[in-house]
Amino acid sequence: MNERIEKLYVVYFLVLGLVTLGFGMADFIVTASGSEYTSAALIIPNDGFRGGWGGLVMIFAGIFYLSGLKNAREIHQLGKIVMGSMLIWIMAGTDIFGMIAGSIPGGEEGWFNTAKGFLGTYAPPYAPAILLLPFSLVVIFYVHRHYRESKTLKKA
Amino acid sequence: MELTADQRWELIEKISEKTVKFGAYRHTLKDAIGDLTVRPSTGIPVAIAVLYGFWSIFGSFAGTLFTDGFMCKIFDEHWLPWMQSVFPGGLGNWFYAIMVDAGHIQNGMLTASDNSFESFGVLTSGLFVPFGVVLPAIFIFYLMLAFLEDVGYMPRLAVLIDTLLHKIGLHGYAIVPTILGLGCNVPAVASTRILETRKQRFIMMALVATFIPCGAQIGIMQDVIPESIGFVMLYLFIGYFVMGYILNKVIPGRAPEILMDVPPYQKPMLKNIKRKVWMRTSGFLKVAVPFVLLGCLIVNILYLAGTIDWLGNVFAPVFEGWFGVPKETAGPLVAAFLRKDLAVAQLSAIHMTKYQMITSVVLVSIYFPCVATFAMILKESWKALLGSLVVLLIAAFGWGGLLHLIWKLMGVA
Repeated sequence: MNERIEKLYVVYFLVLGLVTLGFGMADFIVTASGSEYTSAALIIPNDGFRGGWGGLVMIFAGIFYLSGLKNAREIHQLGKIVMGSMLIWIMAGTDIFGMIAGSIPGGEEGWFNTAKGFLGTYAPPYAPAILLLPFSLVVIFYVHRHYRESKTLKKA
Repeated sequence: MELTADQRWELIEKISEKTVKFGAYRHTLKDAIGDLTVRPSTGIPVAIAVLYGFWSIFGSFAGTLFTDGFMCKIFDEHWLPWMQSVFPGGLGNWFYAIMVDAGHIQNGMLTASDNSFESFGVLTSGLFVPFGVVLPAIFIFYLMLAFLEDVGYMPRLAVLIDTLLHKIGLHGYAIVPTILGLGCNVPAVASTRILETRKQRFIMMALVATFIPCGAQIGIMQDVIPESIGFVMLYLFIGYFVMGYILNKVIPGRAPEILMDVPPYQKPMLKNIKRKVWMRTSGFLKVAVPFVLLGCLIVNILYLAGTIDWLGNVFAPVFEGWFGVPKETAGPLVAAFLRKDLAVAQLSAIHMTKYQMITSVVLVSIYFPCVATFAMILKESWKALLGSLVVLLIAAFGWGGLLHLIWKLMGVA
């Protein structure tokens, strides 16, 4: 049973790693093309900072996930998977902070934003890291499970 | 009572039996992450991500939220018009020009400024720059730096960059003055004392004064040239290593190896962070505010006396021929000695191409340290100051001229 769950986790992080890597590469391609990509849910910025530097961080996050998959129970390998998620948290955290910073001032209309304008800032489309954020949080359950198993083994 | 060596060992054994726990140490996840952030193959990607987060939050907080969101509005829409309406004298009066607004010529007429960047009065730009632009930038910079220090990330960054810094005669601890310099060059020069030899301290001081733009300057650049700031920083960053490499080869002296103690990661303490941020921010304001006000005053007097125009004409062949920038940049370059942030703000009022603007901003960064840094280097050693000035001169002509050459080769100059 445990082995099956472990395999499921590995497959999950494999897919997440590939998607993250894909988003990182897409960031680069969009930045190089010079025109922003926007769909209903996703926006990929084309500026050198978010698209270029940020894209590089996304690529590293994907590589961290993928390189941690082999013997994922070993603590250093697990550390790589956690680092993959942490890199996504840095990206998503800064994107969300940027949204918060942009949503408070009122611009031309007044000191503070209107309720509609404030809430409108948080509507989709979102940057790739924000879309990946909920999926990256699964690592917390994985780490928790790892520690629970280690404790059980110790007792045995 | 005296103990023999055997008795001492017995005593040690008894104490250690009671106090030390023996057994195999199992690596925890915290240890594993600690290792991963030090090992170059995994640590460098993490460092790239941490620095991304650092600058992203810096830009959102200082630029989007405070300066663009509120401070520009307070100063441009309320403070400046109020000062223009109540201050005696009015446009054209010399005292009014120094204190509130020198104005600018538009369609042959002297016109009032509509923003605090361009008015350049002691009571307008002189207050807007330190409180409207620099304070938010410096606050968030030092807050994040204190957080990274308290968590235990900074020593890891020092270990990571140690090999690279050895190539320029420094070692990992040189990251401390380098990063502090991105806040303010004054404490950065003071912190070069953590380096062991005179050669290392000199290289570090010269590099800080030349290639590290301070937080105030970065804050203004964020506002004036947001789309080119990445390029400017990259160009200065490359210059930092190129000049460091040359200095390491040219300057005699030792560059010893060091042993670094890397503490485990820990939960940051709010009290520590608050104390560090307060100490650094208040220290910066005490140095910056008087210098900005004084800077505005002196530069305005120099403008009114015609000294800046005279300097512009004298150095026109150098500015236009060697650096490819308009001769009007002479004024901001003089102002840069007093405050580099003010100088960048002044550049925004000069009509020039994007590429000329980048060159001018790079020149402001490398041509001379601001007077506060100048005084600090002098306090450390007058020989270091003289040496730094030689380095600055070479760097300004070499690195600034090279940039002009790059634009020429690209066909944009």
